[in-house]
Amino acid sequence: MGESSEDIDQMFSTLLGEMDLLTQSLGVDTLPPPDPNPPRAEFNYSVGFKDLNESLNALEDQDLEALMADLVADISEAEQRTIQAQKESSQNQYHSASLQASNFSGAAPLGHGTNVAATGISQYEDDLPPPPADPVLDLPLPPPPPEPLSQEEEEAQAKADKIKLALEKLKEAKVKKLVVKVHMDDNSTKSLMVDERQLARDVLDNLFEKTHCDCNVDWCLYEIYPELQIERFFEDHENVVEVLSDWTRDTENKVLFLQKEEKYAVFKNPQNFYLDNRGKKESKETNEKMNAKNKESLLEESFCGTSIIVPELEGALYLKEDGKKSWKRRYFLLRASGIYYVPKGKTKTSRDLACFIQFENVNIYYGTQHKMKYKAPTDYCFVLKHPQIQKESQYIKYLCCDDARTLNQWVMGIRIAKYGKTLYDNYQRAVAKAGLASRWTNLGTVNAAAPAQPSTGPINGTAQPNGQMPQAAHSVSAVLQEAQRHAETSKDKKPALRNHQEPGVPRPRRPQVQPAPPRPVQRSWDTRAARHAPQGYRQRGFLALPDDFLPPQPPPPAWTTQSSRLAPGLCAPSRRSRQEASYAPPRQQARGINVHKQQMNKINE
Amino acid sequence: MAGMKTASGDYIDSSWELRVFVGEEDPEAESVTLRVTGESHIGGVLLKIVEQINRKQDWSDHAIWWEQKRQWLLQTHWTLDKYGILADARLFFGPQHRPVILRLPNRRALRLRASFSQPLFQAVAAICRLLSIRHPEELSLLRAPEKKEKKKKEKEPEEELYDLSKVVLAGGVAPAVFRGMPAHFSDSAQTEACYHMLSRPQPPPDPLLLQRLPRPSSLSDKTQLHSRWLDSSRCLMQQGIKAGDVLWLRFKYYSFFDLDPKSKTPKKKKKKKNPVRLTQLYEQARWDLLLEEIDCTEEEMMVFAALQYHINKLSQSGEVGEPAGTDPGLDDLDAALSNLEVKLEGSAPTDVLDSLTTIPELKDYLRIFRPRKLTLKGYRQHWVVFKETTLSYYKSQDEAPGDPIQQLNLKGCEVVPDVNVSGQKFCIKLLVPSPEGMSEIYLRCQDEQQYARWMAGCRLASKGRTMADSSYASEVQAILAFLSLQRTGGGGPGNHPQGPDASAEGLNPYGLVAPRFQRKFKAKQLTPRILEAHQNVAQLSLAEAQLRFIQAWQSLPDFGISYVMVRFKGSRKDEILGIANNRLIRIDLAVGDVVKTWRFSNMRQWNVNWDIRQVAIEFDEHINVAFSCVSASCRIVHEYIGGYIFLSTRERARGEELDEDLFLQLTGGHEAF
Repeated sequence: MGESSEDIDQMFSTLLGEMDLLTQSLGVDTLPPPDPNPPRAEFNYSVGFKDLNESLNALEDQDLEALMADLVADISEAEQRTIQAQKESSQNQYHSASLQASNFSGAAPLGHGTNVAATGISQYEDDLPPPPADPVLDLPLPPPPPEPLSQEEEEAQAKADKIKLALEKLKEAKVKKLVVKVHMDDNSTKSLMVDERQLARDVLDNLFEKTHCDCNVDWCLYEIYPELQIERFFEDHENVVEVLSDWTRDTENKVLFLQKEEKYAVFKNPQNFYLDNRGKKESKETNEKMNAKNKESLLEESFCGTSIIVPELEGALYLKEDGKKSWKRRYFLLRASGIYYVPKGKTKTSRDLACFIQFENVNIYYGTQHKMKYKAPTDYCFVLKHPQIQKESQYIKYLCCDDARTLNQWVMGIRIAKYGKTLYDNYQRAVAKAGLASRWTNLGTVNAAAPAQPSTGPINGTAQPNGQMPQAAHSVSAVLQEAQRHAETSKDKKPALRNHQEPGVPRPRRPQVQPAPPRPVQRSWDTRAARHAPQGYRQRGFLALPDDFLPPQPPPPAWTTQSSRLAPGLCAPSRRSRQEASYAPPRQQARGINVHKQQMNKINE
Repeated sequence: MAGMKTASGDYIDSSWELRVFVGEEDPEAESVTLRVTGESHIGGVLLKIVEQINRKQDWSDHAIWWEQKRQWLLQTHWTLDKYGILADARLFFGPQHRPVILRLPNRRALRLRASFSQPLFQAVAAICRLLSIRHPEELSLLRAPEKKEKKKKEKEPEEELYDLSKVVLAGGVAPAVFRGMPAHFSDSAQTEACYHMLSRPQPPPDPLLLQRLPRPSSLSDKTQLHSRWLDSSRCLMQQGIKAGDVLWLRFKYYSFFDLDPKSKTPKKKKKKKNPVRLTQLYEQARWDLLLEEIDCTEEEMMVFAALQYHINKLSQSGEVGEPAGTDPGLDDLDAALSNLEVKLEGSAPTDVLDSLTTIPELKDYLRIFRPRKLTLKGYRQHWVVFKETTLSYYKSQDEAPGDPIQQLNLKGCEVVPDVNVSGQKFCIKLLVPSPEGMSEIYLRCQDEQQYARWMAGCRLASKGRTMADSSYASEVQAILAFLSLQRTGGGGPGNHPQGPDASAEGLNPYGLVAPRFQRKFKAKQLTPRILEAHQNVAQLSLAEAQLRFIQAWQSLPDFGISYVMVRFKGSRKDEILGIANNRLIRIDLAVGDVVKTWRFSNMRQWNVNWDIRQVAIEFDEHINVAFSCVSASCRIVHEYIGGYIFLSTRERARGEELDEDLFLQLTGGHEAF
């Protein structure tokens, strides 16, 4: 009893010392280092740390505050006194804590420099396999406590009982919390507390706040398995604690926070995944040029229907044979229901296909340097495995593509098949977040770029001798765009059409005035008509719609009016801006300072 | 008025005699002769006809059909001259609405009165309004296929023909809902039955019938269907349809708008959704799959079969239980729960109160087998405890308080049934993930009851749920139901039409899969696979399950492609043109490979040359495609393209109203020829 409460005290002092460290100027004194024994805490283990002390020290003050708030929240009667106690103990303890912190900060760069330092999960319930069901019950007894450090310490001990009460309450709440060490792309690390209800999206938001990065949609949490040489991004809707619970205790796996443009590539350039002509390299050129309007309608078509459309994907891939180092080439097809292959001597019709794998119980990973490790034919490998499998096993499927483009198509295709609409929802949330955070500053450039952009598109971009700007219907919903496009083309054709119509055809027609000067599209049509007429073509334009069948077009880049015309669920400005806006480079150098300032402000409040 | 004459009887105005037959196109019909002039208005002529007939009757639906010109004279203010009618015109004074027999997507026949004078588009809209199918623009009518004379006689058992021909719908207003159905259905027991037929999924077809029905064996067979579509801009009369003819009503355009209103317009919750559209779409999808109009893989077929089974079970139990009004899915669950309570009390006496308060667990002696390399050990008896999501086994019950031989957390594991009812083998194969890989373990149960309970537990545990979960009971029920299915259905290779024991549970699995799987699998092989797929869908409500079925159907790569045989300009062989809602696909006729895809979004215009039956399409970047139509008229291709473009202009904001003019402009336009 006495032991454990002292332990808690110990922990508290450590925590508070850390706080003080941040609020006050650094003053390192030479005190004996505090006892590194793990305190009894409500979080059962932390990810990426040798031990809990280290992880706690690495926590940032917001998290510490949150933790403190958790701890004190339930002590209704003695709340004041607890805080008092905190203050007291912090005054006594900050020296030791600061020392510890400096120890840590010295050690950390080492670990990242080599990047192979065993930064495993430090877990304190040795009896339980992951995921621990009820960690606190099975905790081993903490080791003997250290000598009492000071007189004041003993006085504070009485108050520690209250804290213990709080811990008990927390235990009841059973909210599992992890302290996770996240590796940043500049080789630094951040530690944050993740509770079991948090999704990857929440954690990302948290990290955005901490790092003051540009919040763009490419940021992701990324898990790396050094042992298997595989990696993947967390999907934004995934529960982080759940995923990390699958890691073993002594794992070398790491969580990274970095930008990967592959994450949402399909939403930025859907044509590369949906309209790709397999194997034809030259198509790439034209695909890149698809204009925003078409992209949007393609996305809407693929993701907003009753059921999503999985990109048609098929081709020969190499499959690593179970337990062997040889790779066999097979013809694979992606369908919404799974990956299939064509058995020997069969055709690729649906009825002959054999199921290779279904996605329900597997995650998809990129394989890195499998050419070395497994003698893969190329380095463009992807891996399918049950998330719980952590070691080499015959249940892990290795596949290898010919080139990076194919690899990305397969990985994205599988993710679309596995996650469906959720992926698109995630993306829209990410865009909204990015838009909220930093779009406003970039809006000016986006607007300036916008009207020029569609002119490169294939629809309006044929030739514009008369200098007329094509109507840029930026964020009109896809349906509308379709109609509008046809309306546009028909508008132009109309006068020509009439010349070819048989007299007396009953056709509802409203008198029209052509307000716009003739556009190049029309001319091309005219010449076509002339060419065809002698061949016995009776030209009939079925696209001849009345001009006014559509609501009037909005003026090109007026955000407010356009957003109101969007299909529900789409967020106009951010959707638009993500495609052209050039993202500000991450301000990493300045980051550290900013963090510090903000933290201080917070604390001062 | 016309018919002024002198005392001698000579007509002095330029009037002439016009003969009008009364009734439908029947040469023997009675006729009346009127005296008219060229200036007479059609309205006046109609009045005269009615006066001449001198019979008390409601003539409001009657109009004049001009046989030679194949045209209705509907403009009552037009004069005969304006129409160009002379004395030799053969005119029929007949009803505009006539009975036809509609073959619905669920293959049931329904007699109703359809408009023979309006363009088909409007006629279909009226039919759909009567049947309460939203978005009629997606549907159209097909001619019934010509029946082969010889085969005709042997089969064709007496079929129930539903009749809605007496029902008249008031125009303009949306039909009110009364007793859970549109008011016009609640008039009589007969119409009520009709509504049930429309709104509830039909039981699976007899597998024998399924084998007999024609199935397309090649792509060119699949083009046959699409040659029978009727023109949507012309009326039925103009297309040679007669009263009493059989027509098929089908979803023509595979672009289903607002199919899942729940998820998208949560505000409209109070408006009760009408199930007819969803049900009929489900039926069309189901028949598409059963008749192999669309191909799918084995795994996909199992999911479809499981969904059909589930849907059938729900719709049947809904019928037995509450009438209309409540969610049949919930009913079913409740029923299953109470059912289970009885069952559990009977088989394994447990304290109901106790089971409510404590975490349920299963403990029993089971035989366990762990396949390993170099082992000859078979099944061994163990004391097995299943608590929450963890399975532990011990040498015997006495050692249970101690350490188990092994403990497995079943979360995320794969559960595969390995059952042979006739062989009394009830095994559960578990593939349990661990950091090292998957470990395989077999549990062998003694009987069905035990199996069902453990199986249900394993399944829930694999999804991270415990047996305290509310779905546990229904899961057990579903497994038991499936086992009994296996017992009855496993008898023979499908030639056992379900006799008296064709209850809700005793189903022939062959009725759920396409015939090629009937050939490939024995029923007892099929059942466990369907069961396996069923575990993922067992908790869906009726509407959800139907929607899931439709979604899975839509996810098939070949979904929504209408095939037409064409010959491309410059090509010497026939090829297939596939028309989908967003693209045109050129397909090799022999191999079935996709040669080229063009998307509608890149299309600029298309032209039809009606004389040489050629369609020319221009895409962006000066890509031009021209082809002549072989298997169907180019008008059908043209209508498909125009129709899909029209459908893509629909907007949620506009709701149900339709821009009919636009549709007809996009799909019509050949009248001059």
